Amino acid sequence: MPEYGCSGPLWPCALTGAASCLAGFSGLAVVIHGSSGCYYYPATFLKRNLYGTFLVESDLVMGGEERLLAVLRALPEGSGRPAIITSCAPEISGEDIRACTQEFDPLVVESPGFCGGAEAGHARAMEALNPAVDPAKSTVNIDGITLMDPFHRGNLQELERLLALIGAEAGTVFCRDRYDAVSDAGPLTVSANPDFAGAPGKTCGGTLGLPATLATFTRLCDGRAEGCGSWDLSPLEDEIREAEERAVYACDRFLRRFDPPCALVFGIPGYAVFVAETLADYLDAEIPFVGTRFGAVSSRFPSENVTGFDEAAKVIGEHSPDLVLGSSFERTLAPDAAFIGITPPVRREVRLRADPLAGIEGTLWLLESVLNACIDRAPR
Amino acid sequence: MSSNPLPSSSSRYGGCTVTGALSVTTAVRDAISILHGPDGCAHHNFSLLHSTYLDADRIRRLSIVSTGLREQEIIFGGEPALEKAIARAVEQEPGAVFVISTCVAGTIGDDIFAVAEQEWDVPVIPVPSAGFLGGTFRDGFLEALRALSVLADGCTGDRRKCGVAVIGERNLEFEVGEHFREVERLSGALGLPVSLRFVNDISVGDISRLGSAEVNVLRDRSLVPLGESLKARFGTPYVESFPEGFSGSLRFLEALARATGRDAAAALRAEREVQEEICREFSGMQGAAYSLSSPGGDPEGQDSARAVADLFGMRYSDEGPRVPLPVSAPVGSGGVRRLLHRWRRALHA
Repeated sequence: MPEYGCSGPLWPCALTGAASCLAGFSGLAVVIHGSSGCYYYPATFLKRNLYGTFLVESDLVMGGEERLLAVLRALPEGSGRPAIITSCAPEISGEDIRACTQEFDPLVVESPGFCGGAEAGHARAMEALNPAVDPAKSTVNIDGITLMDPFHRGNLQELERLLALIGAEAGTVFCRDRYDAVSDAGPLTVSANPDFAGAPGKTCGGTLGLPATLATFTRLCDGRAEGCGSWDLSPLEDEIREAEERAVYACDRFLRRFDPPCALVFGIPGYAVFVAETLADYLDAEIPFVGTRFGAVSSRFPSENVTGFDEAAKVIGEHSPDLVLGSSFERTLAPDAAFIGITPPVRREVRLRADPLAGIEGTLWLLESVLNACIDRAPR
Repeated sequence: MSSNPLPSSSSRYGGCTVTGALSVTTAVRDAISILHGPDGCAHHNFSLLHSTYLDADRIRRLSIVSTGLREQEIIFGGEPALEKAIARAVEQEPGAVFVISTCVAGTIGDDIFAVAEQEWDVPVIPVPSAGFLGGTFRDGFLEALRALSVLADGCTGDRRKCGVAVIGERNLEFEVGEHFREVERLSGALGLPVSLRFVNDISVGDISRLGSAEVNVLRDRSLVPLGESLKARFGTPYVESFPEGFSGSLRFLEALARATGRDAAAALRAEREVQEEICREFSGMQGAAYSLSSPGGDPEGQDSARAVADLFGMRYSDEGPRVPLPVSAPVGSGGVRRLLHRWRRALHA
């Protein structure tokens, strides 16, 4: 990232990440303690019920505590435990939120935008949630489900399906569950998205890709406690084998007629690396660059943080890709390339279904989308 | 979206000055807008503007640079970060640099005016905003228009050849292009071409022509103070609002003709014919029962919806089919026609 002057920042702030985490739990009344500008972005982005203090100048001069208390008092009956997310201005002015709101017993997440990106806010919110394991339970938690992820609904459905396939019961979903389930989690966890993790207990691994899914569920079965019932890995192994055959057949058929695409991938680190590896492995795709929104990644492809619009433009200009996987921002920059949306925001297309990226169906969805997009764009 | 802003107090919900200011400054093609605040503020606005333009098929590359304030700048002050961001922006030789401050910059007391006043190789223009400390979206929007108008020069030629300047289009409005085309159509009927859209997809150089227009057409009445200011500086008369509905379109033609000393008779006759044709096209809606959908529209939109219903003798009934309420008044006869299509679809649904 440039030291000063990021042109067109591509990634939301910590406040949005915290809201994305907390708003997934029913039984929490998420209150954005900040201005209308700080409220509207997460509210429209996440499309969930959020409350707001809608601070104005006088609140900052006189202190926003009174306003916050007024909002907490006005929360509807039964809306749940207040979860207050603080924005930049109250943090700078030094309001003591915990002390002044004690009577409401709120969760307080200090997650101002200046403390980092959405992933940092998610981590702070998870810390505030303070999840706990009930060792007597035999359920399996699902981790890495967050509202801002365009695949969160599909990933959840897929992991619930895979757990059912081996005969396991899904436990607490982080972060799409009842709030009281947070302190009642199972001892084992499988993850859909490694960049938004934080579930308690033993993590068995991720589910991005067929090999990773098989390895994670194998560890899950190996690590199960006595009395977990009879979990049977074989239906999952069979399904993965069939999926692998279908994927290989479809990709091989594509390569009989078309050259492999030159693909650029932009996204959160876990997804970006998974997508790049899948395209290289199944389609022999050329991956000249992987751009991550945050964090360092270990990858066999050239990779760097791409956090600004101009940086993304430079990368795309250098490589002239046939295929771009990223957000609407990258789509705008590569209008002649085939495009698959894997990173928010994904606009200018209608998305109603719950598509997964994790699990077996996630890999199949990815390859199907790439093949169809490339076939549509291929010269005839 | 379902939102629960509590407690109710509409004055708090007017959005952020930064978004209002950026909706103007990013519409200048060759300028760079520097947002003096955390990256998150810049992302929220960059993403909102980008998505809005994409959804309306308006592909526009936005130049928004964040000074990326973090904890260090919040403790020690952010002016050095702003200076560096301006210096980097100026190196790219834009037509101008607009500096927009956020509530974070306002709270820590950074003086964007002092930094902008330093000697730079291109115009560096501060826009008073400061996030919620500066008011609402509307305040940011108006401040940006005022700030950009300092780049205007006076009229040096024959004003009667300089056409219409459209002032203050709402660039985030979904139908901004359709609204503009109605104004262009009606002013064209009087022989008045539109010569400047202040501010919609123009260059910094174009702004210099702001003082030369024969007449300014304001988007809405809240811009009257700006219209008065331009009138005082350049002697330019103004029409105070876009045409609203059928009767508003006729009044618009009369006002434009009056301001420019033209005869409106032929244009009025032609517009009445357009309106009669629309009435014939939708005559099947005569006397239909209707109710209005969600109360999301402003009072202006409600008034204009009732005016359109009255044209066809439509009966309001709580049990009637719900027709969409326009977000704001339909612009021109063409705007009424599009609204009637939506209503006819709703009545058939």
